[in-house]
Amino acid sequence: MNLLQTGFDGLLALGLIWLAWRALACPDLFRGIVLFIAFGLLMALAWVRLEAPDVALAEAAIGAGLTGALLLAALARLNRTAAAQTLPREAWRSGPALLLVLAGAGLGLAVLSLIPEPAGLQAQVAAELGRSGVSNPVTAVLLNFRGYDTLLELLVLLLALLAAWSLDADPPRREAPAGAVLDMLLRLLLPVLVLAAAYLLWAGAHAPGGAFQAGAVLGAAGVLALLAGWRLQPHLTGTPLRLAVTIGPGGFLLVAWAFAAGRPAAAGISAGTRRRSDPADRDPGHPVHRRHPGSAVPGLAARRR
Amino acid sequence: MPDLYHALTLFLLLNLGAGLWRVVQGPTAADRMLAAQLFGTTAVAILLVLAQAGGVAALRDVALVFALLAAVAAVAFVRRAWPQPEDEHDRP
Repeated sequence: MNLLQTGFDGLLALGLIWLAWRALACPDLFRGIVLFIAFGLLMALAWVRLEAPDVALAEAAIGAGLTGALLLAALARLNRTAAAQTLPREAWRSGPALLLVLAGAGLGLAVLSLIPEPAGLQAQVAAELGRSGVSNPVTAVLLNFRGYDTLLELLVLLLALLAAWSLDADPPRREAPAGAVLDMLLRLLLPVLVLAAAYLLWAGAHAPGGAFQAGAVLGAAGVLALLAGWRLQPHLTGTPLRLAVTIGPGGFLLVAWAFAAGRPAAAGISAGTRRRSDPADRDPGHPVHRRHPGSAVPGLAARRR
Repeated sequence: MPDLYHALTLFLLLNLGAGLWRVVQGPTAADRMLAAQLFGTTAVAILLVLAQAGGVAALRDVALVFALLAAVAAVAFVRRAWPQPEDEHDRP
């Protein structure tokens, strides 16, 4: 840690605090959004400096890329419906502010009361890493050791989609046709985004990356297509779309149910025989591993023994 | 050599500060948005230099995601925030 690095870190920290304050206190919503995008960029740099490239990737995809675009779209919708361009200063209410201060103080106390050298589960994760089939411990925990937990979040996403469909009663916005430049940009960019998402998913097995970051990039591709006015063909939006959004969670539940029914109690023991016969388990890069609920069971069972 | 990399990152971060001034000053919405895009480009540069300085190849992936997703915010701006000519952001 030399003087230059200290200067970089100090500037970064000061810039983050200043940006956060300006983004919150700014009366102009548009300026607030731009400051928020800048905040996301600097935050990703801060995660890099904290040697957490996994979090930096997620922040780069979600904080700096997706959220900014969604906020801009939300602002345009606000402008269309209610003309609430600037927040009045008295929008600061003492009750929520007090609550926030209390919550911040509580979080600070919680951080201060942390054990300085927590034992954690790092040793166990490292010990079982070989059996997870991936070499990146973050991916091993999220998709293998805690596969049920992570993959059942698909149901949360499904519920969110249902809520969005239920609430969005407005007639679809008439989108101005995308110009030639935007159309060409999308034709070039969308395949690259899909490729980058596939790459991030693949890289997650051995390096920072993984399903969340890949999903965020894929989601950004969808947002981009919607912004440009690209829509699904009408004959695809009914039953085919509903089938498509339930096939993921449904397939996962079916596989989980089949495994649970096949091996009710001795999941950890019978896993040893199954693993030798499963070609996916010998090949760490095998794509089956990413969605293999079976590989979550031996990991969990072994950890709890 | 590492010192050169760290000096470069510091210099690029200072450039971000100059961009911040444009975000705050405006005067039009396009100025602010372009400054945010400049932020993205500079952040990519910082990440690439940091990847070289620390030998962390994963940072190049972060830079890749930055570069790809910068377009999303720009397209959202052009399609959602810009077209209304009477929008008050456009007035100086």
